[in-house]
Parts: sequence; structure tokens; C-alpha cells
Amino acid sequence: MNMNRRDFIKANAVIAAAGAAGLALPASASNLITSSEQTKLEWNKAPCRFCGTGCSVIVATRDGKVVATHGDANSEVNRGLNCIKGYFLSKIMYGSDRLTTPMLRMTDGKYDKHGEFTPISWDSAFDIMAQKWKETLKAKGPTAVGMFGSGQWTVWEGYAAVKLMKAGFGSNNIDPNARHCMASAVVGFMRTFGIDEPMGCYDDMEAADAFVLWGSNMAEMHPILWTRVTDRRLSASHVKVAVLSTFEHRSFDLADLPIVFTPQTDLAILNFIANYIIQNDKVNWDFVKKHVNFRQGTTDIGYGLRPTHPLEQKAKNVKTAGDSTPIDFDTFKAFVAEYTVEKVSKMSGVPEAKLIELAKLYADPETKVTSFWTMGFNQHTRGVWCNNLIYNIHLLTGKISTPGNSPFSLTGQPSACGTAREVGTFSHRLPADMVVTNPEHRKHAEEIWKIPSGIIPPKPGYHAVEQNRRLKDGDLNCYWVQVNNNMQAGPNINEEGLPGYRNPANFIVVSDAYPTVTTQAADLILPTAMWVEKEGAYGNAERRTQFWHQMVQAPGDSHSDLWQLMEFSKRFTTDEVWSKEVLAANPQFKGKTLFEVLYKNGNVDKFPLADTDPKYLNNEAKHFGFYVQKGLFEEYATFGRGHGHDLAPFDAYHEAHGIRWPVVNGKETKWRFREGSDPYVKPGSGFEFYGKPDGRAVIYALPFEPPAESPDTEYDMWLSTGRVLEHWHSGSMTQRVPELYRAFPDAVCFMHPEDAKKRGLRRGDEVRVVSRRGEIKTRVETRGRNKPPVGLVFVPWFDASQLINKVTLDATDPLSKQTDFKKCAVKIVKV
Amino acid sequence: MLDKLKKIWQVLNRPSVHYSLGFLTLGGFVAGVIFWGGFNTALEATNKEAFCIGCHEMENNVYQELQSTIHFTNRSGVRATCPDCHVPHNWTDKIARKMQASKEVWGKVFGTINTREKFENKRRELAEHEWARLKANDSLECRNCHNFTYMDFTRQSPRAAQMHSTSLASGEKTCIDCHKGIAHHLPDMAGVEGF
Amino acid sequence: MKTFKLVSAFSVLAFSTLMMTSVTAASIPEDRIDTLRQAPINVEPNPPAMQAVLNKDIKEMRNYPMQPPVIPHKIDGYQLDLKVNKCMSCHARHRTGDSQAPMVSVTHYMDRDNNFLAELSPRRYFCTQCHVPQLDAKLLVENDFVDMDHLIKANTEQNKH
Repeated sequence: MNMNRRDFIKANAVIAAAGAAGLALPASASNLITSSEQTKLEWNKAPCRFCGTGCSVIVATRDGKVVATHGDANSEVNRGLNCIKGYFLSKIMYGSDRLTTPMLRMTDGKYDKHGEFTPISWDSAFDIMAQKWKETLKAKGPTAVGMFGSGQWTVWEGYAAVKLMKAGFGSNNIDPNARHCMASAVVGFMRTFGIDEPMGCYDDMEAADAFVLWGSNMAEMHPILWTRVTDRRLSASHVKVAVLSTFEHRSFDLADLPIVFTPQTDLAILNFIANYIIQNDKVNWDFVKKHVNFRQGTTDIGYGLRPTHPLEQKAKNVKTAGDSTPIDFDTFKAFVAEYTVEKVSKMSGVPEAKLIELAKLYADPETKVTSFWTMGFNQHTRGVWCNNLIYNIHLLTGKISTPGNSPFSLTGQPSACGTAREVGTFSHRLPADMVVTNPEHRKHAEEIWKIPSGIIPPKPGYHAVEQNRRLKDGDLNCYWVQVNNNMQAGPNINEEGLPGYRNPANFIVVSDAYPTVTTQAADLILPTAMWVEKEGAYGNAERRTQFWHQMVQAPGDSHSDLWQLMEFSKRFTTDEVWSKEVLAANPQFKGKTLFEVLYKNGNVDKFPLADTDPKYLNNEAKHFGFYVQKGLFEEYATFGRGHGHDLAPFDAYHEAHGIRWPVVNGKETKWRFREGSDPYVKPGSGFEFYGKPDGRAVIYALPFEPPAESPDTEYDMWLSTGRVLEHWHSGSMTQRVPELYRAFPDAVCFMHPEDAKKRGLRRGDEVRVVSRRGEIKTRVETRGRNKPPVGLVFVPWFDASQLINKVTLDATDPLSKQTDFKKCAVKIVKV
Repeated sequence: MLDKLKKIWQVLNRPSVHYSLGFLTLGGFVAGVIFWGGFNTALEATNKEAFCIGCHEMENNVYQELQSTIHFTNRSGVRATCPDCHVPHNWTDKIARKMQASKEVWGKVFGTINTREKFENKRRELAEHEWARLKANDSLECRNCHNFTYMDFTRQSPRAAQMHSTSLASGEKTCIDCHKGIAHHLPDMAGVEGF
Repeated sequence: MKTFKLVSAFSVLAFSTLMMTSVTAASIPEDRIDTLRQAPINVEPNPPAMQAVLNKDIKEMRNYPMQPPVIPHKIDGYQLDLKVNKCMSCHARHRTGDSQAPMVSVTHYMDRDNNFLAELSPRRYFCTQCHVPQLDAKLLVENDFVDMDHLIKANTEQNKH
């Protein structure tokens, strides 16, 4: 029997309707039920499922269904507010096409890479997965298996995944989609401060005198933080808002100083501001002398393309891209001296007066400045540099770690910080900022994990973009994708992603709640529980960790990522994955399953089922027989406690509406690195950047360098991609909420009316957006919320039927390996 | 004074010595036509959008804003040009408005609105002139196209039909009372009635 | 499948066995699996025509009391910036007499600390962060969200028996 997806849903609907018949209302039912006992709803807190703001929401359940959500009035983050997406959280789990059973591509009852998706049992699903993994491990070793996860994993899911990959399979080939999102911010933090994540917190917003948005459209992407900025701006008349972007968008509605600049010239503007501060004698010498070092970074570092690409062969310092040498202040001064207002105005297209007005906000010692940035800086082939350069400005003026003075790297995903970064689900990382390349760090991790030494490989695994390239090249053959939609989100899917997934040598497994284009490219689909269908924890952009309980059951045979990871680990024994030498030296591990080694290790299974709160569901605890989430969390927390990453005890998070780490002696930390606010700062030091051995942050001399691809005569337009307010990432949840879908149903190509006119186009015309790599068909929008300048188009990527990432270039920042989704060259052709 | 007038009258009253009456009558008529035509042609020339946006103050500010509005692009392609709304069609009013507009040319020549910021600072003042004019003439330039008599309320959204059939019909409100900012960005509206 | 739970709940056993067999046997070609795309990945579908905004001024029922209502009319060209908030020229308390539009809810007059203000709270200034117009677009997939009233009334009914 051959059904398409709609028939498939219809078949389900028949039964659902039969079920609904049981709920039919009698004609005599009163229009008002006055008994409070009967109208009672069960209310519980949970963080929002979407962006990195980390709003808390209150979720109402009734008879096993989520029936309402609203903003949590007791949350410091959002104080009762939600954005449009948050207000519709109640409906994200109820798209009628939820995946409810594993499905394998089969022909005539057997796995076939070109077969049709056929429902199978979990047992059969794990059978074929384990078979493929074992074959691959045996033939090619651990570098041929990999995993792609997400900043939308819960903390313990990310942690369980890292353990399975790094401590179980001995493979560092695990990376999160946070690579596309926050990697440049991470490397920026590590280079400047030696420790990840913002020093400030959201309280900065009520204290700042000026806000500067660097390529961030908070009005749409961080709406609730934008309400706090708006509140401050409109409540205190002296407050100024500067908004910088390569096109005009909704955040410009609040801008006192609106600035549209030529793509990539943010590097020059940042250096101009540093130059202005120095030239006008506005350096905070007391701060700089005590707390800052100067270094010169390596330049001409390439564009993170395949090594065979001409740009990589031309670049001189690809191998040493991350290096730097110490310099003094005068050398730094001379370095930025060339970034004069005249020169930078010419480069950026920004009038001189505006540049000076912007520089003055930073230079004036009386103005407390909070800088915000997200993808404009991070998705940039010099994204790490941008991060370093903004810190330069805040460090030169000492505007850091005090309320309102805050270089604030916003984050994209709900747990990009909590899971991807803090747990360290990157190919080079371990928990609590440790890295696999450091033998001490590996040793420490192996001790906490109680595994033999030498299991964690010292070489970083494949990062996100490299994974797609290796899949295509056939070096990576067994690949498991959880909680993300990388066939829609990853760059250059025409040339890299799709050929990689469909390479006959590869077996691709995708876990998701809904069918997506990534499941479409998969070989095996696993139905997955989402959000409040499981117990979870997320960590937001201000270091706030938030927990929630399982409130409802997932539909059908869906299981959480955590359940899937742990169940899969039962399919392997150490003999199948570890080397003979390791096992000979550690015979006590022989014959044990990875489940026993990783999750029944005395730590993870330390807390009995009885410790779970009987008021709530907990499928995983019931299934495995112990409080899995607590065990994983407490083992994970040992990495950071006493090392500047202290997390509170597990139970505290179920009570509080989020707590900001480091949590020392039961107290959260609002501003790090400042005495009196951060318990890790030594008394008498004033400030201490303790991530660095000498406690000093680093100001980097880094120049402007051109982007990987710029418009030319044939491909004559810049393309920037991004999100819209109403949709979360690839739209797999929000496109299934009717109100959100109808608010913004299809992607469009935002362009300037003159650009449209020049091409004989008008609003609504069908066009092809074409690059050297691929094309999509979309429609022209000349009137919408985004107003690009002449020469630039903006296309959002939420639309599964308009895959703009067929067009984008997989050029990355060579330091962070994060893709530049904001710049490539395209032409717009009338259909 | 009276003497002077008398002298002029005498000159005008004296028959022509050199030219025939016919020539003079015809010539006078032709000269009048040429003068009048020239004046009006010149006036008409200044009444074209191209003239209005000939200076960058208009081109870069108000004209840009106009382009995304319903008065510039819409389903039927009928569009309003600058003078349709800003220059009265009735001749005497037109001249009066033109004289007022020379002040804007003054602004152009002496640069009181030659940057975006300066223009923004003046926006409320400039807008208030237009609101006052349209309020005083009962939104005459709106009504040149949008004739109340021919409005079909059943073709309007319920909200619009409600307003038009009551407040507008009774004369209690005029178009500009509710439709400020319909073709251009609004200035800071603090204190403006209806906002 | 999702159906498992429902079916057992209502114990329509024969029916369920029949459906389960047919569903289990059903296979889905790759081009049909993604409900939101319904096309091969390497083929670009034609984009649907741009839809018009629903402009009927008829309130849509909320899914639950705390849901921000969607906007039942066009907001084309409504200015919403530092200078002016066009929405409030109808929905502010002092404008509702003239406009007969619904007043923004009382929560919109409360600041971050729940104190009532005389005017719209600055944190609620940008209306479109929560309220959006709806386009006349055909849904790609239905949503099975259940209204709390259905559950409550069904329960009340059950208790009567």
C-alpha cells in the first residue's frame, strides 16, 4: 500500500475522529461551568522552546494535553510577557503530522537507500542502526561515525550524547547546530577572556544609557529583550539606541542613530571607534593598565572553504589562523590609526557625522553602553575578530562587568549556552570550557566519567560544515541527527549537504518530532518527544539555567532524545568499540555494554526512581529505573563546580525560575569578573579576568579583510539570510501553528523598489535567486518589514519549500568554523 | 495722484497713431494669450512631480516614503502625484499655495532642511501646515478623487464603512482627521488630536 | 502511531486492529514525507501567489484566554516607531469612544513590576511583537490542539454518568 503523507494523516484522523466522538457534547450542556473543581487546570513552569532569551512560561495541562500557555510573571527574564511565538507554544506539539513511529527506507521488506519510508518497530530501528554502526566502526574506526545535535537539546540530552560519542564510541565527531549560531562568540570569548559566555546579564538593560545593536535585529529575533530595551529607551529620555545593520529592519523603529553599512565593513567601523577613543584621549588608563594585555592577531587566514578552493590556496596563514603575538599599547595605537573617519566613512557608506556620534557613545565616560550582537557578527567569515574588536572598545573604556556597561553576546537557541557551550557538545570541546586537545582536560574528563584513559581522542572531530563535506567524500558513514533540521539550516546544501546525505556509502538517522527536509534526506527516521513531553533543562544567554518537568505524554511511539541515546548505548559492548589494548589494561570493562559503562556507572544511576516527584511524569526514569536526569546533571555539574562554572544542586532548579551561574554558596552571579559581584574575583583586584592565567583580558589588533564572495557584474547583489519574528528557525514547529503560519506563510525576497524596477519586477513577481551554487524560486517583496538598500536582498530561511541554503556559500570563519550566512553574491532573475 | 491717473487715462484713451485698431486688438489678444499661456505653462511645469522631486530634499525624504504607500502603488494603478494632494486645483487657491511653497524653495536654497536630520526636525511643522490647510478646506484635495457621494460602503471594510457612514457623512470629521500619514511618515505625534 | 493511545482509550478493538495493520503496511515515498514541502529536495517548487491580508474586522476566537488576539484587519503603512504608534490611535483607552475599537487589555498599562501606568506601558509599545494580521493562506497541515472547554465539558458529562 502506497500512501502519501496527507493520506497517511487522514487515516489517522479517522481514528482521531472516532476518539473525539467520545468527547461529543450533549446539546443540554450548560454554557458556563461554575464549579472551580471542574474547570481546574494544572499549571507548571517551563522555559520557552524557541530562542536564547530564555523566557519562562506557565503551561496549563488538562487530561494529558497542553491547553494554554502564558508568560511567567515571576520570571526575571520576561515578567509575564511572551512574544507571538511564545504565546502559541501550546500548539506546537499538535501539528497533525507528528511522527509517531520509526520509519526506515525499505523495498520489499528490506532496508534500501532508495526505498520508501516504512513504519518499523523501535527494536528493528535500533537493530539496523547498530548493525550499520558496528560495520562502520569495524571497517573504518570511530572517525567514520558522527552525530549532529543542537542547542535545542536539553542539558542532559547533550551531555548523554557527548558521553556516548566521546566516551563510548571514542569519536569527537559530534557537533551542534550551535556551530552555525554561536561558535564565533565562543572563540571570541575564549580569545579575549579565556572563559566562555557573557560577563553581564539582562539587568544591564535597566541600567544602560545607550544601546548599540551590531547587526542584531532584536525586535524580531529577541522580542522580549527588545521589550526591555524599549522600556528603558521610552522610560528614560536620555537613553539612546544605535542600530547597525546591512539593511533596515524593525529594530530601526526604535533607533535614534540608524546606520546601514556596506557588508563586512563592521570590521572597519569597530577599528575606527577604537581609534577615535585613543585619538580623543578617552582611554580608561586605570582600567587598561591593570586589567588588559595587547596582542596582534594573525591575518590573511582564509575563509574556511575546502582546502582545494582557490581562496584557501591563496591565503597565507590558514594553518596558524588562531595565533597571536604580544604587542604594546603604542603598537596597537599605530595599528588602528589608519581607520580614520574619512576612510571608514568611504568604506562603509556611513556618513562621517554618524560614525562620530556612534564613537562618542562609547568614548563618553559618563555613558553606560550595552552592545548587543548575534548573527550579524557571528555568521561572518571574520566573526571571531568582530567579537574581539567589540571587546576592544569596551576594554579600552573599562565599560564592562558593571551594570549597564556590557558587551553582550546574545544567543540564538534556547540552550546554545546551557547545552552546546556549557556541556561542550562541540567537536573540540568537553564540559566546562575544556577541550579535547588538552591532555589534562581529557584525563580529568575520563576520571569523572570513570572510563579508561585514552578513550577520548586528542584530535578534534569534524565540525558542522566539515561533517557535510566528509559525508559527501565518504569519510563519515554513520550519522545521527537530533533536534535540528540541517538540510534546511546548513549552508550550500546543493553541493555539500544533499550529496552527503544521499551518498550510497552512508546511513543517515534523523530524530525529530515532525517530518522535515532533513528527515526527507534520511534513511531512518526516529519519532521524538519534544519540550514538555520530557523533563528538561535549558541554559539561556545570561547564564541562567532553567528546568521543567514532563507534563504530558508524547504521541504514539515517540521517545525523547535522551531515551534514544541511552537505549542505543545498550546495543554495544566495550569489545565492539574500544581497542584491545585499552581493554587488556582495563579488564574490568570487558564485555560490559556502553549503557553500563556510561550511564550505570555509579554516578548517573545514583539517584533512585523514588527521588522523582510523583506529581509528574518521567518516562525516562521509569524506563531505566533510576532518576536519569538528576544523575546525568549531577555528574555533569562536577566538571564546573569550583572552576567558575558552579551549578546549583539539581532540585534547586525545579523550584527556582532560573538561576545564573556561577552559583556559589547558594547565590547566583549577575556580573562576572568584578569584585563584589563575582565570588571568583580576588579581593582587592577590582576586576579580574580569571579565565586568563594573569587575570588580564586581551585587546587584539585585527584588521579589515574582505569577505569570501562579493557581488560582481554577473552576480550583482548581496544576499543576506535570516529569521522572521513569527517563525522559529526552519519553521518545523511554527509553520504548523495556524496563526503563526498565516502571519508569514511563505518566504519572500525582500528588495529595494529601485532594484526591482531595474529588473522589470514588481511586488509579488516570481523570481529565481541564483548563486554559483544553486537557486530557489520565490516572490519579490518591496514593501515588507525589511528594507534593504540598493544592491542587497534578504531572504528568510524558515520555508521548507524555498530552501535558500541551496544558494548560500559554505565559507566559514577559519577560527570558529561558523558559516557566513549573511554574505554571498546572487542575481535575481525574473521567471 | 488723481492727476497721474488722468494722464494715464489720456494716453490709453488717445487713438493709436501708427497701428490700426484691428492690429492692436488682435495683437493685444495674442500677446495676452502668449503671456497667459506662458504663465500657466510655467505654473503647470512647477505642478509636475518631476519638478517637485527635482530637489533632493523632496526626492530623498517624502518621495521615498510615498512609494510604498497605497497612493503610489495599488491594485488599479491609479496613482497620486505630489500636486494632486498638495496643490489646490482651483486657480486662486493654487496661486496662494504656490506662494506658500516659495518658502519651501527658500528652505532649499538656504539649507534649512538639507539633511535627513534637519528635515526630521522640521517634519512636524511642515506636516501641520498641510493638516491645517486640508482641515480648512474640508480635505478638498482628497475629495477631488475620493468623492463622498460615490462611495460604496458595501465595498469597504466594515470598520471603514462604519466611520465613513457616520462621522464623515455628518460632516463632523473630514478626511485628514483620520488619515494623517497616509502617504508620508508621521512626525512625532505627541499632543496631536486623535493620537 | 498517535492513534494507539486514543484507540485503546476508547477500546474500539476490532477497528484499531484493522487500522493498525493498514497503517503499519503503509509506506511513504520520500517526496511525500515532508508535509511542508511535498517535493523532492533537488527540485524547486513554484512559490504560491502572495496572499492578501484578511481584512474583515471579525474577531477570531482565542485558543485560550491569555492568547494575544490576532489582528483582524490590514495594518499596511501603520507607523509604529519612536515618533508614533498608529495602533494606539484607535486602541488607546481615550480613543475607543471614537474608534469603537477594543481597548488594549489592562495588562498593557502595567509596568515590569505590575504597577499601573496612566498610558500604555513602554514595554508593550511595539504591538506587532505579539499581535499579527493573518493572511489568506491555505494551511499546509492541520493542528489538533484541543480547546480546554472541550476537555472540561467532556469531563463534566462523564461525571454525570
